This record gives sequence, structure tokens and C-alpha cells, in this order.
Amino acid sequence: MKKSMFWKVPGLLVIVSFVLAACGTPAVVTEPAITEESSATEDASSGDVAIRWRTRPDNQEEIDVYSQISADLDAGLDGITLTYEPGGSEGASYQDQLRAEIAGGTAPDVFWIPGTDVADFATRGLILNAADLASSTEGFNVDDFYAGPMEHLTFNPETSASGADSGALWGLPRDVSTFALYLNMDLINEAGAPDPRELAANGEWDWDAFLDVAQKTRALGSDVYGYGASAWWGPYGVWLNASGGGFFNADRTACALNTPESLAGLEFQRSLYADYDVATPYGEDPEPPFRAGKVAMFQNGRWATPGIRTVEFEWDVVELPNGPSGTPGNWLFWGAYVINANTEHPEEAWKLVQALTTAETQGKISALGANIPSRVSQEALDAFLTFTPPANNQAFLNGIAPEADPTAEGPLWAGSWPQFDQIMGPAVQGVLTGATTVEDFGETICDEANKVFNQ
Amino acid sequence: MKVTTRSQIDRRTNQILRIVFAWRIVFALLAGVMASNVWRAGFPDLAPWLGMICILILSAAAILSLFAAVQIIRRHHSARIISLTLDYLAFVFFAVLLLNTGEIFIGLDALGETFGSGLPYLGIVLAGYLLGSLDDYFPQRDRAPENSLKVLGRWLMLAGFLLFLWRIGTVEGILYFMGRLAGPAGLVSVAGVLIFGVAIWLMGMEGIAHALHAKSHHEQIISGWLFLSPNLLGFLIFFAGPLLLSFYFSFTDSDAFNTPNWVGFANYAKILNVRLALLSSPDQLAREVIDIKKYDEVGRLHIGNGGVLFAAADKFFWLALRNTLTFVLLVVPLSVIPALFLSSLLNSKLPGMKFYRAIYFMPSIAAVVGISLVWQWLYNATIGYINYFITTGIGFWNQIFNTAILDPKIQWVSDESTALLAVIIIAAWQSIGFNTVLFLAGLQNIPAELYEAATVDGAGAWDKFRWITVPLLAPTTFYIVSITTIQAMQVFEQVYILMNPPEGPNNSTITLVLYLYRKGFQNFEQGYASAIAWILFIVIFGLTMLQFRRQRRYSVYES
Repeated sequence: MKKSMFWKVPGLLVIVSFVLAACGTPAVVTEPAITEESSATEDASSGDVAIRWRTRPDNQEEIDVYSQISADLDAGLDGITLTYEPGGSEGASYQDQLRAEIAGGTAPDVFWIPGTDVADFATRGLILNAADLASSTEGFNVDDFYAGPMEHLTFNPETSASGADSGALWGLPRDVSTFALYLNMDLINEAGAPDPRELAANGEWDWDAFLDVAQKTRALGSDVYGYGASAWWGPYGVWLNASGGGFFNADRTACALNTPESLAGLEFQRSLYADYDVATPYGEDPEPPFRAGKVAMFQNGRWATPGIRTVEFEWDVVELPNGPSGTPGNWLFWGAYVINANTEHPEEAWKLVQALTTAETQGKISALGANIPSRVSQEALDAFLTFTPPANNQAFLNGIAPEADPTAEGPLWAGSWPQFDQIMGPAVQGVLTGATTVEDFGETICDEANKVFNQ
Repeated sequence: MKVTTRSQIDRRTNQILRIVFAWRIVFALLAGVMASNVWRAGFPDLAPWLGMICILILSAAAILSLFAAVQIIRRHHSARIISLTLDYLAFVFFAVLLLNTGEIFIGLDALGETFGSGLPYLGIVLAGYLLGSLDDYFPQRDRAPENSLKVLGRWLMLAGFLLFLWRIGTVEGILYFMGRLAGPAGLVSVAGVLIFGVAIWLMGMEGIAHALHAKSHHEQIISGWLFLSPNLLGFLIFFAGPLLLSFYFSFTDSDAFNTPNWVGFANYAKILNVRLALLSSPDQLAREVIDIKKYDEVGRLHIGNGGVLFAAADKFFWLALRNTLTFVLLVVPLSVIPALFLSSLLNSKLPGMKFYRAIYFMPSIAAVVGISLVWQWLYNATIGYINYFITTGIGFWNQIFNTAILDPKIQWVSDESTALLAVIIIAAWQSIGFNTVLFLAGLQNIPAELYEAATVDGAGAWDKFRWITVPLLAPTTFYIVSITTIQAMQVFEQVYILMNPPEGPNNSTITLVLYLYRKGFQNFEQGYASAIAWILFIVIFGLTMLQFRRQRRYSVYES
């Protein structure tokens, strides 16, 4: 009996202690406090307001940088204690998890969302309209950021007005990005094709020149491709934009995928896959073959740079070729820091959003090479140019320059972007894989896609 | 002496009966007052439907408690069962509230961080154990028991445990826990646990049981339910509850953020709203034969110079249903038939057979996400190994036999015609190992005498397989087919990871679970997603029932 008690008592002690030990950790700053109650309460030890924030890092390196930024801001922001929570990667469905947490009331006070999600979050009442906070903030100016993102971030769905006086501010852009073509210079040189960078510098970089380079490099072998792009709305959208078309009409209230300009852009892209056979099969991830040295021109955003930096061949970037409209039809990608509508500390959350979007903070993140600062500041742009390779960083800045007329990635205030994308994506894929003709696509796509608008 | 003792026990029992009677009245009043408060004022931060459930539960508790009070007066054993049930449930409620107030559930996650730092101290525990075990190998008869290595080892282990507990933050944990309990919510939950704990103890006393005429089988019933209760409560709260909730949601426009509105059968009506239209020519536009503002074309069947067009208000549901059923039709035979033959092969006593069994089982225990990512690389049309081997094989064949076979350059995941097949191959490959093990277990239950008798009768290997193995494996086969069908109907992970976008080219890999995930967790139409889930349930239930009927009809054991 005594012997059995000797084991039972410590055993019980261990189990109870494990459970009790579990209670001790919320005092640790780095541990996310999950309940609303604890996030709302003030830090008992210092009297500071506890604010949790989250963004979507792509790798551990970014997590480290964001963690350091959080620690620095924590030290600099009086009365606020910060807890940084790295969100899941793109594959781990950052947005799905975030939405579920919002529904469960456990989402952070401040979080990052892609530009396309802003309308959905705002119209559902999930994010705070910070217009009043911004108007009482000395020195705050929406014009400090790129106009494209700010037009969407200041859109007031009740008045359909945008701008500093619209009465709406849904957040501030974390960064911006755009597409460029990552070049395998070894393949281009081997094929004897003209250097796209020189063509771009001479103003000769258009669809014909692009096709010429793609065909010459494709001729190097059956397993070598001239061009590769991923299968989502960004890569195929640029061809529609560059020919003067686009996804939506001017006020983004209806589908414009069936306009002659949009269909012309789609037709050119289809020809890259079917007629000229210069592209990696649509729907296949082109990054592995590019990294394996089998693709001459790989269309991707600035976020791909850290990964590409590890390849062994000579590489650089060039802006997208100009289309019939005279512009490359590029996107201005962006995402924003927004404030949880249910935060109990909106003022502190707004302070954090501002602190996260200062030129200094953005410079630290841009140094990783994955994105471009969202503040229109020559100082920030000059710093960005130093973050090499690629040597031709200017190609990204050219892509977002006003003369390139990039289309800002944007939410769909008059409808549902996820549903529009769900209809458009497979239909475009049908065209680019040869299952549907461009004519059939044009005949039917908007009948279906227009249903997602609030008509 | 005996009489005196009995009268003392009776008096005490009577006193306790009076206490538990009073408690039942108090309990009923408290529950009734709370129900009425929720009815009049609502409950802060509680959705109306949750408030209704609260009222129902509290009202039921009040009525049952009153009934138990009456039964106590009548000295009926049901009073004891009802009281124990109510008090036990309330005790569990307050215990969970206590743990939640102490933030134990939150802290469990955090324990992982501190646990590692305490591990070295567990080494001391291990050292203590080893020291103690030395006593068994080197006993010294002249040493006093209190000086033995075993005792020393125990103290060392205890010291190691204490150091370990200190290192992982037990002291801070206790202080934090106590601090949390000092608040109003903590005090209420502690009081609740104590009060209901005492109530259970009182009602569980032997004297009370006798006084209420409890029989031994009543004790057995109570014990049985008590043992069942952890699982039963878990089932009710985490399975049956959400199940019923999703059924309710399927009749609402719930978006998970706002109060849902009742929409009746609107979700089901939209899903099942379909149209068939005759086509005058195979390429006639859908808008000429259907109202395209309401319907989208799902597919068309060409018949001669015309055809039939199938349209639906929600075309994605029907595409998903088509793909899911195709998936099931191919995955089930592809993962069951090879498994049957494989298990027959592996059911021998040849050397190394266990190794092969383990090899075949490995895909079943590997993570689906990891497997899908590996297959994604294998399937890559440009640098994937599968196409590499096909290209190499065809080149080799052409060279040897002087033929001109063209390399198909299959675009496994990006071609509409092969995308679903790519997913099917992965799913079948992953299921075969598990099914093989189940078949092996079934094979080993077939009496060897039957095979011996068949051999004596001159049956060959195929005859034995066809007439002994297959019929006697019928229960196992039924189980495997049912489980594989149910799993295949719920295919999600492979598609979600492998395909980009998950719907695949031209929606060729959209499946029912993927679609309901999209609707429920990306578009946040949770009411609609719930309706899809219930239709999926009906389809799975129907298929399983069909299999049951077929099994009954053909079962070798039943016939």
C-alpha cells in the first residue's frame, strides 16, 4: 500500500503540476494571449495596453525581421505592449484562419490582409473604419502612400467616394509589389536572343520582342521553355490589361472579360501556350523549372526574389513588355494593416498601424528583398535599389511608376471578389489549356460572372 | 446496541434527506430564476438561438429538480438518479468553468514551450530509477532497508520531479491560477464545484441509497453512466451539438459573423434547382434555352444534331458532385482490388514478408500534405520524375524497336482530362496499404482446414481464392468498401494541396468537401455550406445503406 502510494502521489502531482504549469506562461510576453478577455486586459505588471498583431511572412527570415520590428516598436510605443503572431504561409490559408478567428472572437487587434479582401472585411464589419482616428492624428496624410492602394483603402461604400475626405480609412498599405520577368541570362545568351533589358532601355520591349526572345530560347530544346507563369488571376490579368481590357468595367460594377480588348489579350496569351508553344504548361508551377534552368523568362512578383537569389545561373529582371495599349498592363499589388473592428483599444491599434508603415519600418522589411515600400518616398525608393540582386531593381520601380499606369489590385465593393475569381479562374484556365476557345469564353463568361455583382 | 445505532443512522439519514430535498428546491428555484432572466433580458454576448437553448436547459433542470424533490418525499429511487445526474452535470460545468477561468486550456499550448527546459531534470528521475534498480542486482543483506539503493533512488527521483516541476513553471502556474480564481468568476466556479461536489457526495451516501430504495442494479446503471459520461459528454458537446447546429444553420443565411436569419429551405432549393433543356444544335448557346440570370450550364449531352443541356442555379455543386462520384467510382476499386491480391501475396510465411507489409503500409501513415507535395513534384509536367521516366521509356522503346511513338508529355495536374486521375492515383496509392492490412487480418481468420479440404478435393489456387477466400472475406470486404467509399466521398486534402487552384482546370477537381469549405470558410456562407454538408451526408448515408443491403443479400454467413 505504502509502495503504491509512493508512486501514485508523485504521479498525481506531476499531472496536476503540468496543468498548473500551463497557467504560468501567459505572463511571458512572446506567448500569444488568445482570449478576448486577456487581450483586452492591461498588462498587469506594467499597466501597458496589450496589442496583438499579425502579418503573413513567407519564411523564417521574415518572421525574424517582423519579430525584431515588434520588439523595437514595443520599446518605442509608450503604454503599449506588443505581441507579434506570425500568420500561416500562403499555403496554410492565412486568410481562412484569420476569418475563423474573427468569427470566434480571437483575432488579433491589428492584422494584415491582401488588397482584394478589404471590401469583404469592411462590408461585413470585421475591420475598423479608422477615418476619425486618422483625422485627429497630426501629420497624417493619405498622399504619403501610393495612390492606387489608398483609393481603395479610403473608399466609402455608402457614398462611393474615395480620398482623404471620404470618411473612410480601412487601413494602411504594408508594402506594394508588381510583376517583372525574371530572366535566365544564360539561356538567353545561349539562344542568341536580344537582351530584354537593353530592349526595354531602348523602348523596344513589346509583345513582338517578347515573343521573339521566347521563341529563340524555346528552340534550345524540348525541355527548355521561353516563358513561365503561375495559374492565378495576376499573371493572366496583365495580358488583358496590356491590350486595353481588364476584369471589370471602369467603376468596377460589372464584368469586362468579354470586351474585344480583353479577349485580344487572352488570345495573345493563349497563343503563347498553344500556337507558339513557348510557355510551360498552364497550371504547372513554373518556378521549379525556372530554378532548374529550363525557363528563360519567369513572370513573378518581387516576393519571389529571395528564393531566386539561390539559383546558380546568371539572372536578372526586366519589366513586362508593353502591349497594344502602350503599357505593360502591370498590377500594383498591395496588402494592408487593418484594425480588428472588435478591438478594445482602437487608439493604440491605430498607433501601431502607423508605426508599422513608417519609412523606417518598411525599409527594414524591404531589405529582405521581398517587397517594395508603400510610402511614396524617394528615400525609400533609393534604399530599395540597393537591395540587390537583382541588379536591375529599377524594373520593379518602373512597373509601379505612374507612366506604366499599373492597375492597383483592388477589392470589389460592388460584388464578391472571391466568387468572381472562382468563376473567372477555371474559365481562363479552360482557354489556356485548350479546352475552350476564346470565342466561347467571350460568349459566356460575363453571363456567369456578372451574377456576383450586387445588381 | 444495534437498535440505537440504527436509530442514529436513520436520524442522520433523515437530516440529510431534508438537506437534499431543500437543495433540490433551491436548485429548481435558481434554475427557474436564471431561465426567466435570460427570457426577459437575454444574455450578454449570446446569440438569440443560444439563449433559447439556455432557457430550455435551465427550465428542464428546474422541472427535473422539482420532480426529484417530490420523489424524495415519496422515497422513490428515481429521485436519486435525477439528483445525481443534475448535480453531476452542474459539477462538470463548474469544473470546466474553473479550469477556463484559471486559463488552463490556453496555457496547455504554452506548456510546450517550457516543457523542453525541464527535460534535463527528468534525467535525474531516470538516474534515480537506475540507482533504485541496482538494488535488485546487488542486494546487500546487511544493509538496513531505509539505507537501500531503492530508497535512495526514490528520493532522487522525487527530487528530480520537483526540480522538473519547478523548472517548467509550476510555481508561477499555481500563483497565476490562484490569482485568476480570486476574481468573481473564479470564486463562483470554485463555489459551484464545492456545492455540487458536496451534493453528489450526499446523494451518493449508502444510507440515502437505502432510504430511497435503490437496488443494486440501480447502482450498476449509475456506475455505467458515470463511466460512459466523459465520452458521452464529449460526443454530445463536440459532435452531436455541432451536427445539430449545422442542421439549424442549413436553414439560415449564417455568415459566422452576424446573427443568422431563418431562410427555410432556400439553401436546399438553390442547390437542387436544376433545369434540363433541349438543344436544337450541339453548339447552341445556353442563353438561348435557359434563363442565364438564374442558371448556369453544367454540361450537355449531344444526341444526333441536337442534345440536352443540364443547367443549375448552383453549377459548382453539381460539378463537385459529378467529380466526387467519379472519384469514388474509381478510387474504391483501385484501392480495394489491388489490396485484396496484395494481401493474398503477403499472407505467406516467406522470409522478409513483414518488411514488405510495413513498406506497403507506410503511405497510409504518412501525412497527406507531405505526400501531396511530393506527388506535386513527381507530377510536374516539365521536370517531374513520372514524365521523365515516360519520356526515357518511350525513347528507349523507339530506339530498340525502331518505332515512332510520340511522347505524350502528360500534364498531370494542369490538363482537365488528367487532373482528377492524378488525385485518384494518389488516393488509391495511399489507401492500398491500409486496406491490405485489413484484408490480411481477414485472411488470417479463414480456417486453414478449408484450404486443406479444397486441396484434397483437387481445387487449384484460383478456385481456392474464388470459392473460399473471396466469400469468407465478405465481411472484411464490406467493411473496407464502406470505409473507403465514405473516405472517398470526403476527399479534400489531396485536392487542396495538389491542385493550384484546388478546383483544377475547368473545375475538373472541385469536390463536395472542397466546395463546402470554399463556401463556408472563404466565402463565409456558412448556412449554405451547412446545407451542402447535409446533402453530402444524405448521399454518403444512401450509399452506405445500399452497401448494407447488398451485404445482407449476399453475405455467405447469413445465407
